[in-house]
Amino acid sequence: MAARSILVVEDDGLIRMDLVDTLLDGGFEVIDAANADQALALLEKHPMVGAILTDIDMPGSMNGLGLAKIASERWPDCRIIVISGRYNPNQGAMPEGSLFLSKPISVEGLAAALQEMRITPR
Amino acid sequence: MTPLGPREDWSVELKTLTNVMLGSLQPMLIVWGPSQTTFYNDGYAQMCGNRHPAAFGRPFRDLWHDIWDQVDSIISAAYAGHGTAMDDIEFTMHRKGYAEETHFAFSYTPVRDPWGTVLGMFCACTEITAQVAMARKERTQRERFMQVFELSPGGIAMLVGPDHVFDYANEEYYTLIGVGRDIIGKSVAEAVVEVVRQGFIGILDTVYRTGEPFIARSLPVELNRGPEGEKQRRLLDLVYQPMRDDIGQVTGILVQARDVTQLRADEERQAVLSHELGHRLKNQLAMVQAIASQTLRSSQDISTARRRLSERITVLSEAHDLILEGGRGVSSVRQLVAQMTALHDDLHNPRFRVSGPDLKIGSRPSLSLSLILHELATNALKHGSLSASSGRVDLSWRVAGEKRDRFEMVWVEKGGPSVSAPETRGSGTRLISAGLNGAADSLVEIEFDCSGVRCRIVGDLESFQKEH
Repeated sequence: MAARSILVVEDDGLIRMDLVDTLLDGGFEVIDAANADQALALLEKHPMVGAILTDIDMPGSMNGLGLAKIASERWPDCRIIVISGRYNPNQGAMPEGSLFLSKPISVEGLAAALQEMRITPR
Repeated sequence: MTPLGPREDWSVELKTLTNVMLGSLQPMLIVWGPSQTTFYNDGYAQMCGNRHPAAFGRPFRDLWHDIWDQVDSIISAAYAGHGTAMDDIEFTMHRKGYAEETHFAFSYTPVRDPWGTVLGMFCACTEITAQVAMARKERTQRERFMQVFELSPGGIAMLVGPDHVFDYANEEYYTLIGVGRDIIGKSVAEAVVEVVRQGFIGILDTVYRTGEPFIARSLPVELNRGPEGEKQRRLLDLVYQPMRDDIGQVTGILVQARDVTQLRADEERQAVLSHELGHRLKNQLAMVQAIASQTLRSSQDISTARRRLSERITVLSEAHDLILEGGRGVSSVRQLVAQMTALHDDLHNPRFRVSGPDLKIGSRPSLSLSLILHELATNALKHGSLSASSGRVDLSWRVAGEKRDRFEMVWVEKGGPSVSAPETRGSGTRLISAGLNGAADSLVEIEFDCSGVRCRIVGDLESFQKEH
């Protein structure tokens, strides 16, 4: 797995599939997980992941905000974008420097967010 | 000449009393001699109605014959030497030709000669019918106000004086602070001791001193109102209104309190519910967006894309109808399957063999499952067993796993043409492989076997049935 690849974490299979397709179209390398626990296991295996795109509400031992917190502590260089249909988490709930996107996400909205976070294909 | 003989022959007592009576503006009456001959002045004459002037100089009974059963005893007592005085005696009189409730304050005084023999009776009296009526009207009005207070849905209490002593409290007020507490005649600090350290005496003092009302909404208050007098926290809408006397001085405080604890909780629940609704809507829009994107991504031409997208959204919409019809989370797998067969099966030549328990399904997995079934059926009609007249689909589902904690559905096509895996995965296959949304460990396996398509859909049963 090359550096600067993106990890997509989303429990809804359809939305995950479409996010992955959109990122692949953008020239990124993508791996995906259906929940935070799977995502952490993937991060252990692929420490060169450059960015995480994660949903908040997911089954498992922690939600997307928990994943974002742990990831930001252990892989401080990893960029984090949080996505949810539920709420705009206040600043305290999200790691510093991370970005929030509200569902549903447009292709342009996603592209703008990636650009803002300086996440580019290698 | 008078009924009592020539005036110059009258006794000195009679002469004196007659002078007093005629000189007085207060209604007065003299009943004299064994025959109870009756004299009165102008003031009394007015009270006699149309009995005057006929009754003048006649026996007392002629004047008050209609109330004689009441008068007899007191006039007899006077003749026996016992005076009577009453603040208010009620008579039903017919003095004006109709029955009339009347009230009098009066005294009957025996009049004796120097040797103690009773000569007659002297009466000074005042008719108080009008005053009694007025007092009654005021009392009725007060009672009506009290009734309004009693029936008020809010708690009402009246406090008097600078120490805020309870003068009145309605039933709702007792309900609010705890039924059965003894408060009337006690100060707030004494009777509802738990509010002291919550600062309420200070607020009452300020209202009493400044005359400015205090109004608060959803104010948290701890009250010892439980069945055992234990502390409970309530939210109150509270008003302290100063009450003033004739010269404008504050003399007390009217307390109005409404327990809005339940109301606020309901409102909060409502807000959570509408938040939840917004969340669902956004998630479903995201799902539709993904379906649209996947459909467009793999369609050959725009008219095919339009048709397929429209079909897929219709399927989702129908699955959604089931969720709404059944209330929260009581769609069943059987209902979803029936929706699919209604669309794709042939009534006269049934192609589906369906079997499985009537399992409950949560709303998120129900949307995915309806879509998967639709895609499988569409594919079967186009390339699979349903494209041949003899072809069939066996569709069955069950609770599986050693711990009976898995949902498993199997779709088996038979009697159709030989199939093989397509070179590129179409959007239908991709949508199927996305699995059951909301069900943990959801897995979809699809095999393109020469005997027909086989598809197995599994997932964790608990989350499959859970309402998200």
